[in-house]
Amino acid sequence: MPNKTPQKKYPQLGFGLGLRKEHYQDVIDTRPDVDWFEILTENYLVEGGKPLYFLHQVAEHYPLVMHGVSMNIGNTEPLDRDYLTQVKQLKKSINARWLSDHLCWTGTNGTNAHDLLPLPYTEESINHVVERIEQVQDFLGSRLLIENVSSYISYKQSEMSEWEFLNEIAKRSDCLLLLDINNIYVSAVNHEFDPLNYLNAIDPQQVQQFHLAGHSDYGDYIIDTHDEPVCRAVWELYAQAVERFGETTFMIERDASIPPLAELLDELNFARKIAAAVSTQGINHPQIQNLLENLPIIQTSAAEASEAAAV
Amino acid sequence: MNSSKSQPDLKELQRQMLAWLKAHDPVIKESVTGTEKVPADLRLDIYANAYRYRLIEALEDTFPALNTLLGDDDFFNMGLRYIERYPSQHFSLRFFGHRLADFLAAEDGFKEQKVLSEMAQFEWLLRATFDAAAQPRLSLEDLQNIAPEQWPELTFSFHPSLQRINLSFNVPQLWRAIEQEQPPIDIVEQEYPAGWVIWRRDLRTWYRSMDVDEAWAMDTMQEGENFATICAGVCEWIDEQHAPTRVAGFIQNWINEGLICSVK
Repeated sequence: MPNKTPQKKYPQLGFGLGLRKEHYQDVIDTRPDVDWFEILTENYLVEGGKPLYFLHQVAEHYPLVMHGVSMNIGNTEPLDRDYLTQVKQLKKSINARWLSDHLCWTGTNGTNAHDLLPLPYTEESINHVVERIEQVQDFLGSRLLIENVSSYISYKQSEMSEWEFLNEIAKRSDCLLLLDINNIYVSAVNHEFDPLNYLNAIDPQQVQQFHLAGHSDYGDYIIDTHDEPVCRAVWELYAQAVERFGETTFMIERDASIPPLAELLDELNFARKIAAAVSTQGINHPQIQNLLENLPIIQTSAAEASEAAAV
Repeated sequence: MNSSKSQPDLKELQRQMLAWLKAHDPVIKESVTGTEKVPADLRLDIYANAYRYRLIEALEDTFPALNTLLGDDDFFNMGLRYIERYPSQHFSLRFFGHRLADFLAAEDGFKEQKVLSEMAQFEWLLRATFDAAAQPRLSLEDLQNIAPEQWPELTFSFHPSLQRINLSFNVPQLWRAIEQEQPPIDIVEQEYPAGWVIWRRDLRTWYRSMDVDEAWAMDTMQEGENFATICAGVCEWIDEQHAPTRVAGFIQNWINEGLICSVK
């Protein structure tokens, strides 16, 4: 299948936060120094009430983007047109700058598992997902952002690495990528590959947005829980992402154990500080090292990493 | 993978994975690799556990008072049975509990305690009220322009957030005590079911009980019947000469409470 001619990306938005109901009133009352907010699409696919009331209030003051979990882009049943219609209407009503969902499947045969289930990294999956993304982009009339998910299993059927799979889908469908740096780290630990290999393999032309988030470390594996501050290893990877991808759109994604808004603003400001330092001084400048000096180095097995890539 | 079998295609692989999540069907194990540190079984368990915990969390979020009535362990086990009986079919977790009241009314171990099903029904309607559509309300001034001779034919439409429920138990009182973390109150079954109305106004959810004639009038008006029909119907409870005043009083209260959106 031929690659499409890449279109222009959306204008960059800067440093944002996920909009959470715990912060609605704070955001409206205090207008915090956040460049934009990302909303969880499904929370607003309702007819009225508090969620939509506050959403429209926030939309008056901040750029918004939509992040969904239910597109089920990897499912082998037809796309849910009712869902897509609701999404399209919401996007228009809040003038959302763009829409993202996950490179995964969330259910099949009429049952929704409500989980971001990984796909096998195969040519069959690529063909299937590219066709589905094209259908969605045609329906929405805009480019979709697809996010890499955290995963805990690998399929024997996989024919390539996750980053090759992601790149290929982005190239063929000309969708944009939402790179979740925490998800790269989580999967790197769970599948024993070097996250920098992943990051450095991604085509910068396709990347629109980044997520930063926390996780729960169980020693031998990591669960992507989004209920903790961003850990130092992920900050280190983030610095590498800033170095590689330059000016782009970053945000902190917290979905559980929601802290006061001020704590997330502190975290966001740390992201700004690292980005400014990397952009002006370069990743190897002592100032960056000073910021990151306490970050743990991720232990990886070169043999296992190359094996995973070759499967 | 058994070499005599062909590799499952994507559709079949997804079917196998879902069968693992729902019923621990082990066939997916043939397609999953593990590592020395984290074997395939543990990896698959992460997904199977997440599947159940996420759905039960959604139930906890929608049915907090039911959770308190049952206790955490029994609520969790109830949730497991509900997931098995009614797997989620909607794209949003918001709608996962829509059959819980029916489930509790029908299943052994729960149907004997009818208060559980009533509480589930009450909490489900609270959620429905919370994010129902917004719509402008009718004011008493709007009624003043209507000529008296038009009144018998008038029909009224209610706010989309309005929900009606008849309850045999003191469910709203139980819910309130639990929600406000007050000392537990006794579960009481009434001699006759009482009519309750739930609605939203100014982003807040309200509920109150109704006399039997008011509940009947509201239900009948929701079905599209006009003022004259309602007046005739309430004569089952009061004498004919007082019926129009009684029904007009209902309507005045409903307008003051923000329950009515239009008249025609």
